This record gives sequence, structure tokens and C-alpha cells, in this order.
Amino acid sequence: MTAITEAAVTQRKGAGGWRWSGRIFLLLLLGFTVMPMIWMFITSLKTGFAAMQYPPQWWPSEPTLENYWRLIDPSGSVGRDFVQYFLNSVWVSTLTTILAVVVAVPAAYAFSRFRFPGRTFLFFAVLLRNMFPAVVFLVPLFILMKALGLVNTHGSLILTYLTFGLPLAIWLLKGFYDNIPVQLEQAARIDGATRFQAFFLIVMPLSTPGIIATSIYSFIGAWNEYIYAYTFLTRHDQMTLPVGIQRFFSENATDWPGLMAATFMMSIPVVVLFLVLQRYFVRALTEGAVKH
Amino acid sequence: MSTVQGQAIFRDVPEPKRVGLRQKVWNSRFDYLYVAPAIIVMLIVIGYPIYYTIELSFFNTPASLALSAKQFNGLDNYVTILTSPIFWKVTWQTVVWTVVSTFFAFMIGLGAALALHREFAGRGVLRAILLIPWVVSAVAASYVWKWLYHSDFGAISAMLTQVGLVDKPINFIDNTSTSLYALIVVNVWKEFSFAMIMLMAGLQTVPDTLLRAAQVDGASPWQRFWHVTFPHLRGVSMVTLLLLAVQNFNSFIIPWIMTGGGPAGSSDIWITHIYQLAFGRQRWGVASAYAVILFIVMMVLGYFYVRALTKGDDARAAT
Amino acid sequence: MAQVVLKDVVKNYGDVYAVNHVSLTVEDGEFVALVGPSGCGKTTTLNLVAGLIPMSGGTISIGDRDVTDLDPKDRDIAMVFQNYALYPQKSVYKNLAFPLQMRKLPKDEIDKRVQAAAKTLDIVHLLERKPRELSGGQQQRVALGRALVREPRAFLMDEPLSNLDAKLRVQMRSEIKRFHQDLNATIIYVTHDQLEAVTMSDKMAVMNGGFLQQYDSPANVFANPVNMFVASFVGSPAMSLVPLTAVTKGTDVVLASPEGWELPLNAANAKKALSAKSNKVVLGGRHSTIKVHKAQVPGSVPGKVYTVEPTGDVTFAQVFVSGAVVNVSVDPTFLLRPDEPVFIEFDQNRMHLFDGETEMALKLAD
Ligand SMILES: Nc1ncnc2c1ncn2[C@@H]1O[C@H](COP(=O)(O)OP(=O)(O)O)[C@@H](O)[C@H]1O
Ligand SMILES: [Mg+2]
Repeated sequence: MTAITEAAVTQRKGAGGWRWSGRIFLLLLLGFTVMPMIWMFITSLKTGFAAMQYPPQWWPSEPTLENYWRLIDPSGSVGRDFVQYFLNSVWVSTLTTILAVVVAVPAAYAFSRFRFPGRTFLFFAVLLRNMFPAVVFLVPLFILMKALGLVNTHGSLILTYLTFGLPLAIWLLKGFYDNIPVQLEQAARIDGATRFQAFFLIVMPLSTPGIIATSIYSFIGAWNEYIYAYTFLTRHDQMTLPVGIQRFFSENATDWPGLMAATFMMSIPVVVLFLVLQRYFVRALTEGAVKH
Repeated sequence: MSTVQGQAIFRDVPEPKRVGLRQKVWNSRFDYLYVAPAIIVMLIVIGYPIYYTIELSFFNTPASLALSAKQFNGLDNYVTILTSPIFWKVTWQTVVWTVVSTFFAFMIGLGAALALHREFAGRGVLRAILLIPWVVSAVAASYVWKWLYHSDFGAISAMLTQVGLVDKPINFIDNTSTSLYALIVVNVWKEFSFAMIMLMAGLQTVPDTLLRAAQVDGASPWQRFWHVTFPHLRGVSMVTLLLLAVQNFNSFIIPWIMTGGGPAGSSDIWITHIYQLAFGRQRWGVASAYAVILFIVMMVLGYFYVRALTKGDDARAAT
Repeated sequence: MAQVVLKDVVKNYGDVYAVNHVSLTVEDGEFVALVGPSGCGKTTTLNLVAGLIPMSGGTISIGDRDVTDLDPKDRDIAMVFQNYALYPQKSVYKNLAFPLQMRKLPKDEIDKRVQAAAKTLDIVHLLERKPRELSGGQQQRVALGRALVREPRAFLMDEPLSNLDAKLRVQMRSEIKRFHQDLNATIIYVTHDQLEAVTMSDKMAVMNGGFLQQYDSPANVFANPVNMFVASFVGSPAMSLVPLTAVTKGTDVVLASPEGWELPLNAANAKKALSAKSNKVVLGGRHSTIKVHKAQVPGSVPGKVYTVEPTGDVTFAQVFVSGAVVNVSVDPTFLLRPDEPVFIEFDQNRMHLFDGETEMALKLAD
């Protein structure tokens, strides 16, 4: 009896120690995570002069939203370009997402449900794509885009973004379809539905969370993409945000507060999208890897 | 009443005839319609480039992209690469970058996942905040950290001097001995939460009853982790480590924006080096040969990657 | 309702033959139970009848139509799945209405039929709920209802009761039987529970390893199992099987055990035993035909009590006889102790003999 109580006490002590070290670790990690974000925001509130001081002003003596106004004011040259970049990013990311989902849905469904010859090979081939860095494909794609006359167009980006968007979308969606019992479709087909109706009326509505998650992934992936945009686009009016903001500020002396404001604005859409739809996002990521 | 002859011994029943591959393909012809669009897109933007990269790697190419003027030079590009000291330096840096980044991202992610596993007030918010670095673009991360590392006005140096740890600002990224490690910190900042979220999901598969049984048996928290939790995480850990390693091996944005591979090539890794060769020095053939070598390395890793991702796939029933 | 005929049906997955040359006729209005151990090919057979998976060989007809190449939707059948397969996003009402909508019935007709089915199954109060808000038994009823709203040519049911608790299972068993009688429906009912098959069906088709073993009325299957598998699968407790050797002694034939005892056979059984391919013969007996004695009587063989399970009305016991386990039942007042030596007497007129090589039942030539 005493032995058990003693053991229980040691247990609790041990667990308590663990819990505390866990909390301290989380606190440090939180600091590491948010420090750069906070500094980005603080810097974006400074004037160019205030930013170039040593030691730095930990909080600006005269905080200003000037940097943000400059970015969204379409009458200035900075604002005009930034708004254009922003719209380009929205357009490219949206179109990539729609195309990726439309093409990935039937493919993922087939990979989940059908057992046709070559299925395993094709699925491996699709997954393997994500092994290779964009740079490996860059030279030939650049030449291909040149030949197709797509350099400096959004078409070149959307087409290439599909190369990383599609495999991911197919893999994620397949995870969702794998988790929908085959019997539901079988029931529907017996109830008088064709194969397509069974898919469209029964499976599709059930996979909505998967489609939402896949869409967020594609969107964020496209929104954040840099290498292809950096290589294929040279005209200012075509650029997306990641390349755009770079061109903006590093020409002469870098305007750090302006750059931080632009970075902040660029991050807002994806962070908001992520926070709102976090549930789907996390589920999709873990579904594939953890379900076995 | 019809009574069927029982068959306790099955040997004497004729085997149904085998279906040939061609017949099988024909029988599933409609299945292919579903995957066709995806495969066609992938063929254009992946199949063709792979073929073209391999071809270019055997040619001496003019700097302009007038590739009709290219000249076949056999394995020269490969010889050039493998005999160049830069190749081995960049390879070593790539290994350091990949291994160190992967290790720390995974360990921090594991620690965070374990600490976040228990329910407490604010857990959801904390998890969301920790995930933000993973969601924002690497471009944004690179600029912000470049500013934090700034040699004259950087906040990190300033903080360290104010606390009294150093007496003058440190030059983190303009320094051949620290640049690579300074970049690794940024990379770990960016991706540890990926490991965290994967491992958090993995932790949910650890049966509570097992942990409680171990507790009753008198196992210490460490023993419980090592003997119960960890074995359950093995599968997820494999996938996570592989995904991280692949991603790190393929990194480009952080080193490219923050240092461009410099100073003096001290933070150059494979991908930045290839990019520099191709689009900086326009040595398309050599860059392609580099890509092919990388390709081969990745195929080996890829075998394990695909195996880990598709484990148990064929056990699932089909329509 | 209609007749269902399977002719030489085969389904293989590579080297695995899930269904192996099965031929079977289900008459119009008949309740046929497809029974066998897990993995023997019952679900696959049912799915082939439904048209959910392509066949590797053979033909299936429903009524006077060959449906071998028809889609499930054109076969005009209804099916109840083991896990119910209710559409999770649809209310109970919409679940019931779905098959009618697919057949483009007018709205008021759909409503009438859904309400009628709901009434029959006593689920009217559940119509607005989603499947996940229902108990297992209620989901089961909805699944039945979805099959009932139409007037299909045949009903297919795949272990419809196996997810219910014991009490509910007994209740639903009689309801399904009732439903069969009222509608005069053709039903193919899959189960791994031989008791369910025996109590519910007009005929049972016993399967094992993809093969159809025996297809007959439960009474006939019980009384004349064609082989050792069927003998040991049907009936609870299972028929006991003791491997022995047939030996001719002058005009008599005896079954001899390795331990040295001998069991003389009567004339009919002797003839059966001699018709075996070799001298290996397996003796089979159901518990109800076996007597237990504390002392040796003529025609009894020695054994040793292994376990004793009193159930109140009757006491079951397992007795080791020549290395095999023999199930017996005795009156509760007849006390047995584990390890007690006893003597077992098989009824010569109701014992079964099997060929030790082919495992087939030995019969008298006609
Ligand atoms: N899609 C499939 N691929 C490979 N083997 C299968 C498949 N479906 C069923 N089988 C095999 O066929 C056999 C019969 O399965 P099933 O009809 O489900 O058995 P039951 O319903 O009698 O338990 C099993 O051995 C099973 O493993
Ligand atoms: Mg089954």
C-alpha cells in the first residue's frame, strides 16, 4: 500500500517537472516564433530615418502608417505597382487553385478507387514530382516557355504551378477518398445511380472538407511561389508579389520600413486564410501521413 | 432439393483462364479517363523537361539560348563538375544544411508536439501562432530575417549588446564562417511547425490505455515516452523526416534572397549553385548535368519517400 | 419478385479465387442464406449478383433476364449492407427517398412510399434526423427501409444484423423473416452465423474457400452434411469428428483407434466404411446422438472428460476420445468432473462416417 502511494507521489512529481519544462520550452519557442514577426511590424511603423538608428528604437518614437498608405495609394508609383502585383498574385493563385482541383479530383478518385494496370506506377510518378526542386525543371521549362511564347505571361506560371500543385492535391484528396467507405457508392449504384452520379451526388459532398483543404494548399503554394515567377517574369506589370517586392526596394539603398510593410501585407492573405480554415488545413496534412 | 457436391479438397477444379495485360487495360479503359488530364499536364511540364535536361547535359551550349548552336561534348560537363573543387565544397555545405536543418526542425517540432499534446487553456491559439512561419512565404521570412541580422541596425546584434553578451554588433550573414548557420536558423524557424503538426497528429494515435497501463506499472514519464509513445510515432517520424530532408535539400529561396550563396560561396548549396550556373553564368549544359546528378540522388531518396507515403495502400479495397 | 440463377460464377483477384465456380438457383420468393466462415467469399458472391464488381467468369440471371453485363442500377435489386452504408449527409427521409428519386418518381409518390416504409419499420419519428444521430438498431431499420421503398426483384443482405447486440439481433431476425413472408420476397441473405442461417432460411448455401459446399434446406444440411467441413460448421456445438482406421475382422468391420480399442459397426455403416478410398475413416456424431456412461457398456469407447459447462437445462461437456474432442450433452443431474474417465456410446443409426482422405461423407450406394 505504502509502496503504491510512494510510487504515485514520485509519478506526480516527475510529471510536474515535465510539465514545467514543457511550458518553459513552449514559452521560448513562442518568443523565437513571434519575435521576427513583431519586429517586422514595428519596423513597418517607422520612418526610414528612424529605422536606421543604432541602437534601434524598440518602439518607434513617432509611429506612422505612412509606409502602408504608400503601398495602397494608387496615385503614387509605388502604390500603383504594389496593387498590380497584388492583383496578379490573386489572379494567378486563384486560377492555379481552380485548375489544380478540377484536374486532381477525378485523378485522386481514380487512384483511390480503381485498380487499373499501371495505377501504382502512375501514382508513384505523380508523387515523385514533389521530390524534385523547381530548379531542376527550370532550364528546360524556360526554353519551353520561350518556344511557346509564354515568357512574361501568367500562363507560364499557372502551367508550372500545376506541376507542384497537382501532385500535392492528388495525394491529399486521395487521402480523403480513401476514408469514404466504398459501400456508400455501392449503395447509391444499387439505388439506381450511375457511377458518375454516385460520385457526384454522394462522394463529392462528403469530400468537401478535402476539397477546401486542397484548395488552401494550392492557393498558399501558388501565392508564395518565387523561383518560376522570378525566372519567367521580367515585366513589372506581370509580376507577382514575392518577386515584385524585391524589385521594388533593393534597387538603390533598401527602404527597410517599406519592405517590412510590403512583407506584412503580402503575408496577410495567407495567414488569414490559414487561421480561418485551419481545421481543414491541419486535417488534410495529417490524414495522409497518419491514418495507417 | 438440389444438393451440390461438396468440395473439401479443391485440387480437381479447373482454373479460370488468365486475363492478359492487354485485356486488363482494355477492361479498365474508362478508369484512365479520370487520370488522363492530370497525367497529360504532368507529362508536358515534367516529362518533357526531364528529357530535355538529360539531353542538354551532354552538350556544350552557347550562353545565348540559341540552342541550335549547341555542340555535343559527351560526358565533358560531368567531368567538369566532378573534378571541380567547388562541387565538393557545395556538396558538403548542402549536406550540412540539410542534415542540421532537418535535425533541429524535427527535434523542436517533437518537443512542441509533446508539450502541446496535453489540453490547456490557449492551446489552440498557441498552435496557430506557432504554425504561422510555415504558412508565410519564404520570401517574407528571408527579408525579415535579413533585417534582423543586419550588420549595422540588426535587432539581434542590438539585443545581444544591450544584454552585454557581445560588445559590438555581429556580422551574421556577411561572414564566411557564420553565414550558413545563420541561414539554417531561419530555415528551422520556417519549418519546425511542419514537424510539430505531423507529430501532433501522430501522438493522437497513441492509445491512452497503453500509457495508463505503463503508468500503473510504474514507468517514469521518460520511460513511458521511450517505450510507448515513441514506437507509435515511428511511422509518422519517418515520413516527416523524409519530407523535411527532401524539402531542405531542395531549398532555394532563403539562401538566394538572404546571401545569394555568398559571401564567397560560403552559403552556396546545390540548388542556388545550379541556378547561378544556369541563369547567372548561362552555362546551361553544365547546369543541366548538375540537375541530372541531383536527379539520381533524389531517385534513391524518392524510393524511400514513395514507399513511406504509400504504405498500406494496396490493402484497401476497391470498387 | 424473381428467380436468381448463378451459373459457374468465378471471381479471382490474381491468384486468390474469392468465388470459385459457384452455381446456385434461388427460386422466386425463396429465402436463401449464404453462410460460411469469414473470408470464404460470401460478400464477393453477393456483390457479383448486385453487379458491383466485374465477374471473372460465369453468368447471372435475375427473373428471365441475363444480367451478367448490366450495371447495378439496371438489375432492379435492393441491398442492405453490413455497415448500413447510410448517406451521412442526408436525413433519414432523404436516405429513403434517394432510390425513388434516382428512378424519377413523382414527388408525391415518393412521399407516399417513404411514409409507408417508415410506418412499417416504425421510424416515422426519425425521418428528420441524420444517420449519425441514430442508434445502431435504428440505422439498421433505415437501411432496411431504403431497400423496402422500392419493389425490387430481389433483396440482397450482407450480414445485416452482425453489428447489433444480441437481443436486438434476435428481434430483428424475426422482423426480417416476417417481412419475407409478407412480401413473398426473394432474399439472398449473407451471414457467418450458422444459427441465423438455420433459423431464418428456406435453403442454405454453405461456402468455404470460395467453393459452394452444399446447398439444401437447413434440415437436410444438418442431417446429411456432404463433407467434414459442413458437418463441423453447421450445428452448435459442432459435430465431433474422430479420425480412426477401418479394419475387417472376419465378417465384421470395426473402427480401430491407435490406443487399441475397437468400435464394431452395424451392417450399413460397415458397408459405408469399406467404400472409403483408404482405410482411414472419420467418425462423426452430434452431441444429441451420443450417450455418456460412467462404466463400459457394449459398443462404447473410452474417453476422458476435459471441460464441463453446466447451462441449467443441460450440461455440455468436452471429452477427449482418441486425441479428438467430442462434444456431449448430459442431464444436469449426471455429474461429471474434469479428468474423469468415461465411456462414450455413438448411436449407430445416426452416426456419420467420412472418408479420411477426401473428407467427403460416406454414403450407401443407391
Ligand atoms: N478487392 C480485393 N482484392 C483482393 N482480394 C480480395 C478483394 N476482395 C475480397 N478479396 C478476397 O476474397 C476473399 C473473399 O472475401 P469476401 O467475399 O469479402 O469474404 P466474406 O464476405 O465471406 O467474409 C477473401 O480472401 C478476400 O481477402
Ligand atoms: Mg463479408
